[in-house]
Amino acid sequence: MIIPRAIPASLVLALLALLVLAPMAGLLHLSALPGYEPGDLRFWESAYLRRVLFFSIWQAVLSTLFSVLPAILVARAFAMQPDLPLRRLLLGLFALPLVVPGVVVVMGVVSVYGSDGWLPMGRSLYGINGILLAHVFFNLPLAVRLLLPLWQVIPQHHWQLGEQLGMNAWQRFRFIEWPMLRETLPGVLLLVFMLCLTSFAVVLTLGGGPRSTTVEVAIYQSLRFDFDPARAVMLALLQLGLCMLVAMLTLKFQRMPEVEIAISAPYRSRRSTLSSVVNLLLIGAATLYVGLPLLSLLIDALQGPFFKMVTSSQLWQAFANTLFIGMSAALLSVLAGWFLLQYSASLARQGRVTGARVVELAGSIVYVIPPLVIATGMFVLLSPHVDVFDWVYPIVIAINALMGLPFVVRCLGPSMRQSHARYHRLCLSLDLQGWNRFRFIEWPLLRRPLGLAIALVAVLAMGDLGVIALFGSTQTATLPLMIYQQLGAYLISQATVTALLLLLLCLAVFALLERGIGGKPDVAN
Amino acid sequence: MLLIEDLQFDYSAEPASNMHFDLSVEDGEVLSLIGPSGSGKSTLLSLIAGFLSAQRGRIVLDNNELQALPVAERPVSIVFQQHNLFPHLDLYTNVALGINPSLRLLPAQIDAVRDALARLGLAKMQRRKPAELSGGQRQRVALARALVRRRKILLLDEAFAALGPAMRAELLDLVKTLVGEHNMTALLISHQPSDALIASTRTAFICEGRVSMLAPTAELLAAAAPPELRDYLGSQ
Repeated sequence: MIIPRAIPASLVLALLALLVLAPMAGLLHLSALPGYEPGDLRFWESAYLRRVLFFSIWQAVLSTLFSVLPAILVARAFAMQPDLPLRRLLLGLFALPLVVPGVVVVMGVVSVYGSDGWLPMGRSLYGINGILLAHVFFNLPLAVRLLLPLWQVIPQHHWQLGEQLGMNAWQRFRFIEWPMLRETLPGVLLLVFMLCLTSFAVVLTLGGGPRSTTVEVAIYQSLRFDFDPARAVMLALLQLGLCMLVAMLTLKFQRMPEVEIAISAPYRSRRSTLSSVVNLLLIGAATLYVGLPLLSLLIDALQGPFFKMVTSSQLWQAFANTLFIGMSAALLSVLAGWFLLQYSASLARQGRVTGARVVELAGSIVYVIPPLVIATGMFVLLSPHVDVFDWVYPIVIAINALMGLPFVVRCLGPSMRQSHARYHRLCLSLDLQGWNRFRFIEWPLLRRPLGLAIALVAVLAMGDLGVIALFGSTQTATLPLMIYQQLGAYLISQATVTALLLLLLCLAVFALLERGIGGKPDVAN
Repeated sequence: MLLIEDLQFDYSAEPASNMHFDLSVEDGEVLSLIGPSGSGKSTLLSLIAGFLSAQRGRIVLDNNELQALPVAERPVSIVFQQHNLFPHLDLYTNVALGINPSLRLLPAQIDAVRDALARLGLAKMQRRKPAELSGGQRQRVALARALVRRRKILLLDEAFAALGPAMRAELLDLVKTLVGEHNMTALLISHQPSDALIASTRTAFICEGRVSMLAPTAELLAAAAPPELRDYLGSQ
């Protein structure tokens, strides 16, 4: 029996609505109760709120500029050196920050720039400096990878014309490269800004003091340290407003091609030695910046109490919790995403483009609503009725699955649409439906993006600190929470070992899932 | 006069990929190059333009050797099948780039850009972007830029292949006229023998990296003497 696509998709949509809207309703309901009024001017006009709001935006602006502006130069350097030895390996290193948990990066940054590090910054590391260092570690490589393909879509004939017309380097940038960058740059800037605005683990561990707290961290502090749900509710609503504003701007400026873009062969013109040297220096500096914290973390961990720690049952309990939460969230997220995208693709094929877009956007809803806001809503909604700490696993898994959905939609969506557009009629004519259609058509075509999606969501959930910090306890701690607790107790060497274990776990799970499900590239395509 | 002498180029170490050209083109002549895909037509144009460097041989224009010159200093303008125009710039700017990429033009140069656009029937479209034009109009803009550059050699690399027969014939006529008026030397790659008949008195058949036959166009198309040419024309 073939189940119509609308049924599982409707179930997923209903669950999504429940998971997102119920906590929102809880927040709004609470905010209307006496003592919670968001209209309370004493709170909105308080110096505390002004400081938190200013710092949130300031650190996000600086992080964005320090990440994206150098990324333009580094991406250009990579584009201009298509024959660079180890280019693929270096670009692989630039993909690492996508799968390295925030708290591991924090340990790497502390390891390099901390008082005992290779480039010690002393106490000034904690606060805006440390936050910027960690945010740039994450977002510079991300921006490089987002921007690099832009140089590959410039038609080779444009480079040839530029050369024939005698354009110098500045004119080439102005007439050939900048017009293409200008289209995409606002979207990349806003994406990085949003990631830094909602960054939690980095700000909590490297900032967090009264002078360097963001709205996201202030919500957590209100709930867990100050036991002030009223303030948490108002901060959550403020964060929601900020994120919606940025998301609307992002949607307005984002230029995403609907179909696969043609990638030109890299153009090999005669570059001067000076420009090649500058390119190599840029690539080298960026590689050092990304590689150093991970290398330093590895060395510090191996010099630390590594063998003593690996016999600790508490560590392995946290290891198991991390793996369980990561795998469950990934499975749930990919399943939900699959049903949504199947339904969206079938709507698009029937010409119901708006409906298709709405279904797909529903999967990306968490992009607008920060997970910590949802978690706060759940916390205030459930805490009067149940002990939320007993419900840690279902809550953390559900919210992490929700956080992973936008990645599933981005990874799987284009291939799913393409597969439907190309093969649906053929499948109908051959009566290929249900399991057979999945086995012979969809699996071979979609296993690569599916493998990438499941691997990404799994490592994101395993590295999450925000939701687990709100609901977790010593017994239910995951590795990121354990690192945070060790840092709080100044057990730096133990935290370094735990961070290395988490890093290795994330890399292993990512590689196994991506390769295991996705298969070798030439098999799937 | 453009003279190509013993010009050799290898894409790889395999002897089969060795290309070897000998050719001459008179002033004011449009020489058509026809031949199967991969035979070396575009490679020959890339060698003349300087996008590729020959391992041996000479490219001589009016007794001046061109091989040592960088791309920008060669007396060459090229029109491709597509991507000739920068999509974010209007027609005026696209043409003006041909005179000076800094866009700092003298009044006489500004007039030259306007005259070229007018000559190609685009006077009223100067501020339009390429996306607002038809395929034929875009190629006219590329020709206008070639005109203002005042370079002796004009290379047309399947420049009109994407256009309909009537538009193609019109533009080929225009090219023939412009080349005559400005005493240029043009090489035209086309897959349509009819294009060669319209534009060229002489046509070269390129096959396996060599000029297999060079003859008056009508004679070459009628004779179809080498078997490769017969096969090529038979598949048209």
